[in-house]
Amino acid sequence: MDAIFQNLAIGFSTAITAYNILWVFIGGLLGTVMGMLPGLGPATGVAILIPITYGMNPSTALITMCAVYYGAMFGGSRASIMINTPGDASAIVSCFDGYPMTKNGEAGAALAISAIASFIGGTIGMLFLVFLTGPIADAALRFGPAEMFSLMLFALVATITLAEGSLLKGVIAMCIGFMLSTIGIDALTGILRFTYGVEELQDGIDFLVVMIGVYAICEVFKNLKNLETKYNLDSKSIGKVWVSWPQFKKCIMPMLRSSPLGFFVGVLPGMGASIATFMSYAMEKNLSKTPEKFGKGAIEGLAAPEAANNSCAAGAMVPLLTLGIPGSGTTAVMLGALMMLGVKPGPILFSQYPEIAWGVIASILIGNIILVIINLPLAIPLVQLLKLPQRVMMPLILGMAFMGTYFLNYSSFDFILVMGFALGGYIFSKLEIPLPPMILALILGGTTEQSFRNSMSLSDGSLGIFFSKPISVTLIALAGLSLVYSLLKRRKHAQ
Amino acid sequence: MKKLFAVVLLVVLFAVAGTASAEWKPSRTIELIAPANPGGGWDMLCRTVQKALTDEKLVEKNVIVVNKPGGGGATGWNYLKGKKGQGEYLSATSTLLMLNNLLGKSEITYKDVTPIAALQTEWISIAVEQDSPWKTVKDLFEAIKADPSSVPVGVGPTLGNNDHLMFLELAQEFGVEPASIKFIVYPGAGGEIVPALLGGHVKATTIGLGEVLEQHKAGKMRIIGVSADQKLDFLPDVDTFTAQGVNLVFPHWRGIIGAPDLTPEQVKYWDDVFTKMVQTETWKTLIANLGWSNFYQNSAEHTAFLEKSTTDFDKLLTQVGLKK
Repeated sequence: MDAIFQNLAIGFSTAITAYNILWVFIGGLLGTVMGMLPGLGPATGVAILIPITYGMNPSTALITMCAVYYGAMFGGSRASIMINTPGDASAIVSCFDGYPMTKNGEAGAALAISAIASFIGGTIGMLFLVFLTGPIADAALRFGPAEMFSLMLFALVATITLAEGSLLKGVIAMCIGFMLSTIGIDALTGILRFTYGVEELQDGIDFLVVMIGVYAICEVFKNLKNLETKYNLDSKSIGKVWVSWPQFKKCIMPMLRSSPLGFFVGVLPGMGASIATFMSYAMEKNLSKTPEKFGKGAIEGLAAPEAANNSCAAGAMVPLLTLGIPGSGTTAVMLGALMMLGVKPGPILFSQYPEIAWGVIASILIGNIILVIINLPLAIPLVQLLKLPQRVMMPLILGMAFMGTYFLNYSSFDFILVMGFALGGYIFSKLEIPLPPMILALILGGTTEQSFRNSMSLSDGSLGIFFSKPISVTLIALAGLSLVYSLLKRRKHAQ
Repeated sequence: MKKLFAVVLLVVLFAVAGTASAEWKPSRTIELIAPANPGGGWDMLCRTVQKALTDEKLVEKNVIVVNKPGGGGATGWNYLKGKKGQGEYLSATSTLLMLNNLLGKSEITYKDVTPIAALQTEWISIAVEQDSPWKTVKDLFEAIKADPSSVPVGVGPTLGNNDHLMFLELAQEFGVEPASIKFIVYPGAGGEIVPALLGGHVKATTIGLGEVLEQHKAGKMRIIGVSADQKLDFLPDVDTFTAQGVNLVFPHWRGIIGAPDLTPEQVKYWDDVFTKMVQTETWKTLIANLGWSNFYQNSAEHTAFLEKSTTDFDKLLTQVGLKK
């Protein structure tokens, strides 16, 4: 324990220099802006920084890049909350309750709680990183294909419970999501599936394109009828970016529960923040006494995923710092930049460059504090946007949506896709088919399929593999329990 | 409007003047296309070249890196294909330019563009668990021969890549039926394969040396062979395949291609620039930091190399049944 505090002291002495704090501030601001713009995510932000980091010493470089990463986690949800367009993958879930809150005239509270939850998630993630890195990194190594598949199964079952109304419609949505996820090159065989000779479909359908279509553009469609109405705004509350104590109290437990969850998902190889946010949302909805409020502007439904995605970002640093391997696209870019500076990544990073490893950990805390300071005042001008009438706001959303779509892959083909999904989303909403199960199935489809097929290869085709490993059995049991629980709850609700 | 017209006219004039004179020079910002997302090998190559060209002042214009991901490189390369005759557009390339075409994933081949240079290579390694009984590639393949299903081999991000093909070629050398090998594919590549081997979910992996080098040095896993042409000085305890009696050298090289229909003057300009670049200290330090080895070929050498490699890969892919 003493050693940890000693190392932490080294870390803070590295991180707390005027020069480093200045860079954390610049990086955080850049990250926040990158996160806010739909389609531009943390990976792009870090890549843009690479030429600037050339002249830096490695720890300043890594600290700056981390600041961009966390900044994007803070900024990503701004657009989700304000215009129903997620800034990046980790901000998808923030649309579910963030945008309804805006519509209810609570944009200020939504922006404030998202910054606060991000801070809490990031700080808890940092504490986990300090004290639990060793054991958690070991636990993550035990996740093979079978465990991964069981985890996916659990996440999917949990999402069915997200479905409003008919369970059958939720399953339909999920199946459509799975079908969409099979489009493109099959990684296991290299064979093209369902691309019908369209080269642009080779890499599959980017779920952010789907997301922007079914949420942002579809929202514009829905509002075409009443362009003259304004948001339901209380002129006194506008500009007030803070949460009341009762609102905050509702969020405490969800934030405390979601942070460890997000952290662990972040540690697992190949898992992203989007999965962490979905799982935390599903968990909170299941635990909530008022699940019917979720999706209609429940503040805890926003706080939970916001905390989860920031602690997930801290979790993603575990494989980077302990094994020297990237846990996410963003950390892959960071690793490349570090290598250019002559730092050899690998299991020896901690022992060989303690000032870098611990400096980064310390900078996470400093970064989170600075980001709250950046983000709370930044929310005030954002809220003013809502004074715009719909007939100005809607074209603005449409413009942002198209810009974001283009930034994703620099492909104009995605415009066709995004419009197709917008129409599909509109039809879905008329049929009352819920969208979250579809989105999650689309995100998880690839991993689910690959982990299943890899498990089958490993076991020579026997399903027994899922029941022969303790972690896998536990997860399957949890999936079963949550399914039964939600069915019972539904029945009770119906009576 | 008049102003705009004047500018356009000027640009056109410059372009014409540029191609007409015997000595060609870039007349505007040089665009390095990384046909992938930030973070991968192509992206790193472009950023390294950008830094070397800029720091050593080898070009007079600005150099920017543009990411155009998609289609295993096809999106970026098609963009380059559209810049016919424009010497300011360059793109990163690798064996995938050939493999994607041979595997039927893309229409584009090296003949649709102008090969400019091969720049660097990474060597491919075979790694096993630290406490594994296999000390040489022979040990490993004998174990596979005896009981293929007991030796899952991690590979990624997709079958049909360099690492996979190299393993198949080794298998042929040892008389192991390629179809019998139990490949476990990790789309996350090294980021997933390394933990999978550390956690014992796979027993061996065929993977870029850089991904496992530090793990090997730290005693977390063991590299039992590399595809290099001679013993690597940073890896004295590991023999090459050739030293182990297998006739196989397999570079995972990366290089630069230009737009189609470049003039000899344009090609000569880049030949001069890259010949100088690979000799600079900046370049040498950067590639050493990244664990890459020099693999320079100029335009003519590289074109001949691509031609030969295409024939070789075609033969291999047909033999192992990947080419339909």
